[in-house]
Amino acid sequence: MVQTGSASIEETVRAVLRDVLGLSDERVAAFDDATPLFGALPELDSMAVAGVLTEIEDRLGILIEDDDIDGDTLETFGSLVAFANAKAPA
Amino acid sequence: MIDRYDWPGGHEALWRFGPDTGPVVLLLLPPFEEANRTRTFAVGLLRALADRDVAGMLPDLPGQGESPLATDTVTLADWRVAVTALVDATDRPVVTATIRAGALFDTDAAVAGRWHLAPQSGDRLVRELTRIAGGIDRDAPVVEIAGNRIAATMIVDLATATPSADHPSRIVRLGTDPDHADLRIDAAPLWRRAEPGDDPALAALLADDLAAWSRACVGW
Repeated sequence: MVQTGSASIEETVRAVLRDVLGLSDERVAAFDDATPLFGALPELDSMAVAGVLTEIEDRLGILIEDDDIDGDTLETFGSLVAFANAKAPA
Repeated sequence: MIDRYDWPGGHEALWRFGPDTGPVVLLLLPPFEEANRTRTFAVGLLRALADRDVAGMLPDLPGQGESPLATDTVTLADWRVAVTALVDATDRPVVTATIRAGALFDTDAAVAGRWHLAPQSGDRLVRELTRIAGGIDRDAPVVEIAGNRIAATMIVDLATATPSADHPSRIVRLGTDPDHADLRIDAAPLWRRAEPGDDPALAALLADDLAAWSRACVGW
Protein backbone atom coordinates (compact mmCIF):
# COMPACT_ATOMS: atom_id res chain seq x y z
CA MET A 1 0.00 0.00 0.00
CA VAL A 2 1.09 3.53 -0.73
CA GLN A 3 1.11 5.60 2.40
CA THR A 4 -0.74 8.86 2.12
CA GLY A 5 -0.64 12.05 4.18
CA SER A 6 1.70 14.99 3.91
CA ALA A 7 4.29 13.61 6.36
CA SER A 8 4.83 10.45 4.33
CA ILE A 9 4.89 12.41 1.06
CA GLU A 10 7.67 14.58 2.46
CA GLU A 11 9.60 11.47 3.49
CA THR A 12 9.01 9.91 0.05
CA VAL A 13 10.39 13.00 -1.69
CA ARG A 14 13.36 13.02 0.69
CA ALA A 15 14.09 9.34 -0.04
CA VAL A 16 13.77 9.88 -3.80
CA LEU A 17 16.35 12.70 -3.70
CA ARG A 18 18.67 10.46 -1.65
CA ASP A 19 18.30 7.51 -4.03
CA VAL A 20 18.43 9.34 -7.36
CA LEU A 21 21.20 11.79 -6.46
CA GLY A 22 23.22 9.35 -4.36
CA LEU A 23 23.12 11.59 -1.26
CA SER A 24 23.71 10.35 2.28
CA ASP A 25 20.91 9.85 4.81
CA GLU A 26 22.48 12.58 6.95
CA ARG A 27 22.53 15.04 4.09
CA VAL A 28 18.89 14.60 3.08
CA ALA A 29 17.76 14.46 6.74
CA ALA A 30 19.00 18.05 7.05
CA PHE A 31 16.81 19.26 4.14
CA ASP A 32 14.11 21.72 5.23
CA ASP A 33 11.55 23.73 3.28
CA ALA A 34 14.10 26.41 2.40
CA THR A 35 16.88 24.07 1.21
CA PRO A 36 17.67 25.05 -2.40
CA LEU A 37 17.65 22.19 -4.94
CA PHE A 38 17.91 22.97 -8.67
CA GLY A 39 21.04 25.00 -9.27
CA ALA A 40 22.36 24.31 -5.76
CA LEU A 41 22.92 20.55 -6.01
CA PRO A 42 25.44 19.72 -8.77
CA GLU A 43 24.02 16.18 -8.90
CA LEU A 44 20.62 17.54 -9.95
CA ASP A 45 21.06 17.94 -13.71
CA SER A 46 18.23 17.74 -16.24
CA MET A 47 18.50 13.96 -16.49
CA ALA A 48 18.39 13.60 -12.72
CA VAL A 49 15.33 15.87 -12.64
CA ALA A 50 13.60 13.41 -14.98
CA GLY A 51 14.59 10.55 -12.66
CA VAL A 52 13.34 12.40 -9.58
CA LEU A 53 9.97 13.15 -11.17
CA THR A 54 9.49 9.63 -12.50
CA GLU A 55 10.48 8.03 -9.22
CA ILE A 56 8.07 10.30 -7.29
CA GLU A 57 5.33 9.23 -9.74
CA ASP A 58 6.10 5.54 -9.24
CA ARG A 59 6.32 5.68 -5.45
CA LEU A 60 3.25 7.84 -4.90
CA GLY A 61 1.20 6.29 -7.70
CA ILE A 62 0.57 9.67 -9.32
CA LEU A 63 1.02 11.10 -12.82
CA ILE A 64 2.95 14.30 -13.39
CA GLU A 65 2.50 16.13 -16.69
CA ASP A 66 5.72 17.77 -17.76
CA ASP A 67 3.73 20.93 -18.50
CA ASP A 68 3.02 21.15 -14.75
CA ILE A 69 6.72 21.57 -14.03
CA ASP A 70 8.15 25.06 -14.08
CA GLY A 71 11.28 26.74 -12.81
CA ASP A 72 9.87 27.07 -9.31
CA THR A 73 8.87 23.42 -8.82
CA LEU A 74 12.36 22.24 -7.95
CA GLU A 75 13.64 25.51 -6.52
CA THR A 76 13.58 24.28 -2.93
CA PHE A 77 12.84 21.07 -1.05
CA GLY A 78 9.69 22.75 0.28
CA SER A 79 8.43 23.66 -3.21
CA LEU A 80 8.97 20.11 -4.48
CA VAL A 81 7.15 18.61 -1.47
CA ALA A 82 4.28 21.09 -1.94
CA PHE A 83 4.07 20.11 -5.62
CA ALA A 84 3.95 16.38 -4.75
CA ASN A 85 1.30 17.06 -2.09
CA ALA A 86 -0.85 18.91 -4.61
CA LYS A 87 -0.60 15.97 -7.05
CA ALA A 88 -1.26 13.20 -4.54
CA PRO A 89 -4.82 12.07 -3.83
CA ALA A 90 -6.15 13.57 -0.62
CA MET B 1 34.96 -15.85 -19.85
CA ILE B 2 34.27 -13.67 -22.86
CA ASP B 3 32.53 -15.56 -25.64
CA ARG B 4 30.23 -14.54 -28.46
CA TYR B 5 26.90 -15.65 -29.80
CA ASP B 6 25.35 -15.61 -33.24
CA TRP B 7 21.98 -14.24 -34.18
CA PRO B 8 20.48 -13.80 -37.67
CA GLY B 9 21.83 -10.23 -37.89
CA GLY B 10 25.44 -10.99 -36.92
CA HIS B 11 27.25 -11.79 -33.71
CA GLU B 12 27.59 -10.11 -30.34
CA ALA B 13 29.74 -10.42 -27.22
CA LEU B 14 28.67 -12.74 -24.41
CA TRP B 15 30.13 -12.94 -20.92
CA ARG B 16 29.90 -16.36 -19.26
CA PHE B 17 30.04 -17.07 -15.52
CA GLY B 18 30.00 -20.17 -13.34
CA PRO B 19 29.88 -23.94 -13.85
CA ASP B 20 29.53 -25.86 -17.14
CA THR B 21 26.57 -27.91 -15.94
CA GLY B 22 23.11 -27.18 -14.63
CA PRO B 23 20.78 -24.33 -15.55
CA VAL B 24 22.07 -21.06 -16.99
CA VAL B 25 20.72 -17.70 -15.94
CA LEU B 26 20.56 -15.37 -18.94
CA LEU B 27 20.69 -11.82 -17.61
CA LEU B 28 19.07 -9.11 -19.72
CA LEU B 29 19.93 -5.52 -18.89
CA PRO B 30 17.58 -2.61 -19.50
CA PRO B 31 18.39 -0.69 -22.68
CA PHE B 32 20.13 2.65 -23.19
CA GLU B 33 21.23 4.71 -20.17
CA GLU B 34 19.96 2.26 -17.55
CA ALA B 35 22.27 -0.41 -18.99
CA ASN B 36 25.26 1.72 -17.96
CA ARG B 37 23.82 2.21 -14.51
CA THR B 38 23.15 -1.48 -13.84
CA ARG B 39 25.99 -3.33 -15.60
CA THR B 40 28.41 -3.36 -12.66
CA PHE B 41 25.63 -4.56 -10.39
CA ALA B 42 24.56 -7.21 -12.91
CA VAL B 43 28.10 -8.60 -13.15
CA GLY B 44 28.23 -8.74 -9.34
CA LEU B 45 24.93 -10.61 -9.31
CA LEU B 46 26.20 -13.16 -11.85
CA ARG B 47 29.43 -13.66 -9.89
CA ALA B 48 27.39 -14.19 -6.72
CA LEU B 49 25.27 -16.74 -8.61
CA ALA B 50 28.45 -18.53 -9.75
CA ASP B 51 29.51 -18.69 -6.09
CA ARG B 52 26.21 -20.54 -5.55
CA ASP B 53 27.08 -22.98 -8.38
CA VAL B 54 24.62 -21.52 -10.87
CA ALA B 55 25.93 -20.46 -14.28
CA GLY B 56 25.19 -17.13 -15.91
CA MET B 57 25.36 -15.36 -19.27
CA LEU B 58 25.40 -11.62 -19.93
CA PRO B 59 24.97 -10.79 -23.63
CA ASP B 60 25.40 -7.54 -25.46
CA LEU B 61 22.17 -7.04 -27.35
CA PRO B 62 22.50 -5.76 -30.94
CA GLY B 63 23.27 -2.04 -30.89
CA GLN B 64 24.04 -2.03 -27.15
CA GLY B 65 27.29 -2.27 -25.18
CA GLU B 66 30.23 -3.19 -27.44
CA SER B 67 27.99 -4.17 -30.36
CA PRO B 68 29.34 -3.51 -33.87
CA LEU B 69 25.87 -2.24 -34.80
CA ALA B 70 24.78 1.35 -34.26
CA THR B 71 21.97 1.76 -31.74
CA ASP B 72 19.73 3.52 -34.26
CA THR B 73 19.86 0.58 -36.72
CA VAL B 74 18.23 -1.99 -34.44
CA THR B 75 14.60 -2.76 -33.67
CA LEU B 76 12.81 -4.31 -30.72
CA ALA B 77 12.28 -7.38 -32.92
CA ASP B 78 16.09 -7.65 -33.35
CA TRP B 79 16.54 -7.79 -29.58
CA ARG B 80 13.88 -10.47 -29.22
CA VAL B 81 15.30 -12.49 -32.11
CA ALA B 82 18.81 -12.25 -30.63
CA VAL B 83 17.62 -13.47 -27.21
CA THR B 84 15.69 -16.33 -28.81
CA ALA B 85 18.73 -17.32 -30.89
CA LEU B 86 20.99 -17.33 -27.84
CA VAL B 87 18.54 -19.46 -25.85
CA ASP B 88 18.11 -21.88 -28.78
CA ALA B 89 21.89 -22.24 -29.10
CA THR B 90 22.28 -23.08 -25.41
CA ASP B 91 22.02 -26.82 -24.78
CA ARG B 92 21.14 -26.38 -21.11
CA PRO B 93 17.97 -25.14 -19.44
CA VAL B 94 17.87 -21.34 -19.47
CA VAL B 95 16.19 -19.09 -16.93
CA THR B 96 16.06 -15.40 -17.79
CA ALA B 97 16.80 -12.78 -15.14
CA THR B 98 15.80 -9.35 -16.34
CA ILE B 99 16.32 -5.89 -14.91
CA ARG B 100 13.74 -3.19 -15.61
CA ALA B 101 12.80 -3.04 -19.34
CA GLY B 102 15.03 -6.06 -19.99
CA ALA B 103 11.77 -7.90 -19.21
CA LEU B 104 10.51 -6.93 -22.68
CA PHE B 105 13.12 -8.91 -24.61
CA ASP B 106 12.65 -12.58 -23.65
CA THR B 107 9.03 -12.87 -24.78
CA ASP B 108 9.69 -15.25 -27.70
CA ALA B 109 12.38 -17.41 -26.09
CA ALA B 110 11.80 -20.99 -24.93
CA VAL B 111 13.02 -20.61 -21.36
CA ALA B 112 12.40 -22.66 -18.21
CA GLY B 113 11.40 -19.59 -16.22
CA ARG B 114 11.53 -15.82 -16.05
CA TRP B 115 12.73 -13.79 -13.06
CA HIS B 116 12.09 -10.06 -13.32
CA LEU B 117 13.69 -7.39 -11.13
CA ALA B 118 11.53 -4.25 -11.08
CA PRO B 119 10.10 -4.97 -14.55
CA GLN B 120 9.18 -1.85 -16.50
CA SER B 121 6.56 -1.85 -19.25
CA GLY B 122 7.35 -0.32 -22.62
CA ASP B 123 4.92 2.56 -22.19
CA ARG B 124 6.61 3.55 -18.92
CA LEU B 125 10.02 3.36 -20.59
CA VAL B 126 8.90 5.54 -23.50
CA ARG B 127 7.29 8.00 -21.11
CA GLU B 128 10.58 8.25 -19.25
CA LEU B 129 12.65 8.61 -22.43
CA THR B 130 10.27 11.34 -23.59
CA ARG B 131 10.71 13.18 -20.31
CA ILE B 132 14.51 12.91 -20.46
CA ALA B 133 14.51 14.20 -24.04
CA GLY B 134 12.12 17.04 -23.17
CA GLY B 135 9.70 15.70 -25.79
CA ILE B 136 10.14 13.44 -28.84
CA ASP B 137 9.59 14.48 -32.45
CA ARG B 138 7.51 11.53 -33.69
CA ASP B 139 8.18 12.45 -37.33
CA ALA B 140 11.97 12.21 -37.07
CA PRO B 141 13.48 8.87 -38.20
CA VAL B 142 15.98 8.93 -35.33
CA VAL B 143 15.77 10.66 -31.97
CA GLU B 144 18.72 11.40 -29.69
CA ILE B 145 18.01 10.86 -26.01
CA ALA B 146 20.76 11.43 -23.46
CA GLY B 147 23.49 10.40 -25.89
CA ASN B 148 21.60 7.45 -27.39
CA ARG B 149 20.45 7.67 -31.01
CA ILE B 150 17.24 5.64 -31.12
CA ALA B 151 15.18 4.77 -34.21
CA ALA B 152 11.63 6.10 -34.22
CA THR B 153 10.43 2.59 -35.03
CA MET B 154 12.07 1.37 -31.82
CA ILE B 155 10.17 3.99 -29.80
CA VAL B 156 6.88 3.02 -31.50
CA ASP B 157 7.44 -0.70 -30.87
CA LEU B 158 8.55 -0.19 -27.26
CA ALA B 159 5.47 1.91 -26.50
CA THR B 160 3.20 -1.15 -26.64
CA ALA B 161 5.68 -3.80 -25.45
CA THR B 162 4.87 -5.76 -22.30
CA PRO B 163 6.71 -8.53 -20.45
CA SER B 164 5.76 -12.14 -21.16
CA ALA B 165 2.74 -13.37 -19.20
CA ASP B 166 3.96 -16.99 -19.40
CA HIS B 167 4.68 -19.03 -16.29
CA PRO B 168 6.72 -19.80 -14.34
CA SER B 169 7.69 -16.25 -13.61
CA ARG B 170 8.74 -14.41 -10.48
CA ILE B 171 8.63 -10.66 -9.92
CA VAL B 172 10.98 -9.00 -7.43
CA ARG B 173 10.51 -5.34 -6.60
CA LEU B 174 12.02 -2.80 -4.26
CA GLY B 175 10.15 -1.90 -1.09
CA THR B 176 9.44 1.59 -2.44
CA ASP B 177 7.65 0.22 -5.55
CA PRO B 178 3.91 -0.29 -4.93
CA ASP B 179 3.34 -2.57 -7.98
CA HIS B 180 2.61 -6.31 -7.65
CA ALA B 181 5.58 -8.43 -6.53
CA ASP B 182 6.29 -12.00 -5.41
CA LEU B 183 9.20 -10.74 -3.33
CA ARG B 184 9.92 -7.26 -2.04
CA ILE B 185 13.38 -6.11 -0.93
CA ASP B 186 14.29 -2.79 0.64
CA ALA B 187 17.07 -1.21 -1.41
CA ALA B 188 17.76 1.88 -3.49
CA PRO B 189 17.04 1.78 -7.26
CA LEU B 190 20.50 1.66 -8.89
CA TRP B 191 18.98 2.35 -12.30
CA ARG B 192 18.01 5.84 -11.16
CA ARG B 193 21.40 6.80 -9.79
CA ALA B 194 22.93 9.70 -11.70
CA GLU B 195 26.41 8.24 -11.11
CA PRO B 196 26.58 4.46 -11.68
CA GLY B 197 26.69 2.74 -8.30
CA ASP B 198 26.76 -0.78 -6.94
CA ASP B 199 25.08 -2.69 -4.12
CA PRO B 200 26.89 -5.98 -3.36
CA ALA B 201 24.59 -6.68 -0.40
CA LEU B 202 21.55 -6.49 -2.68
CA ALA B 203 23.35 -8.65 -5.27
CA ALA B 204 23.96 -11.33 -2.60
CA LEU B 205 20.32 -11.29 -1.47
CA LEU B 206 19.03 -11.51 -5.02
CA ALA B 207 21.55 -14.25 -5.89
CA ASP B 208 20.11 -16.39 -3.08
CA ASP B 209 16.59 -15.93 -4.42
CA LEU B 210 17.54 -16.34 -8.07
CA ALA B 211 19.66 -19.47 -7.45
CA ALA B 212 16.90 -21.18 -5.48
CA TRP B 213 14.26 -20.21 -7.99
CA SER B 214 16.32 -21.25 -11.02
CA ARG B 215 16.91 -24.65 -9.49
CA ALA B 216 13.21 -25.03 -8.71
CA CYS B 217 12.29 -24.12 -12.32
CA VAL B 218 14.43 -26.86 -13.79
CA GLY B 219 14.28 -29.40 -10.93
CA TRP B 220 18.03 -29.39 -10.40
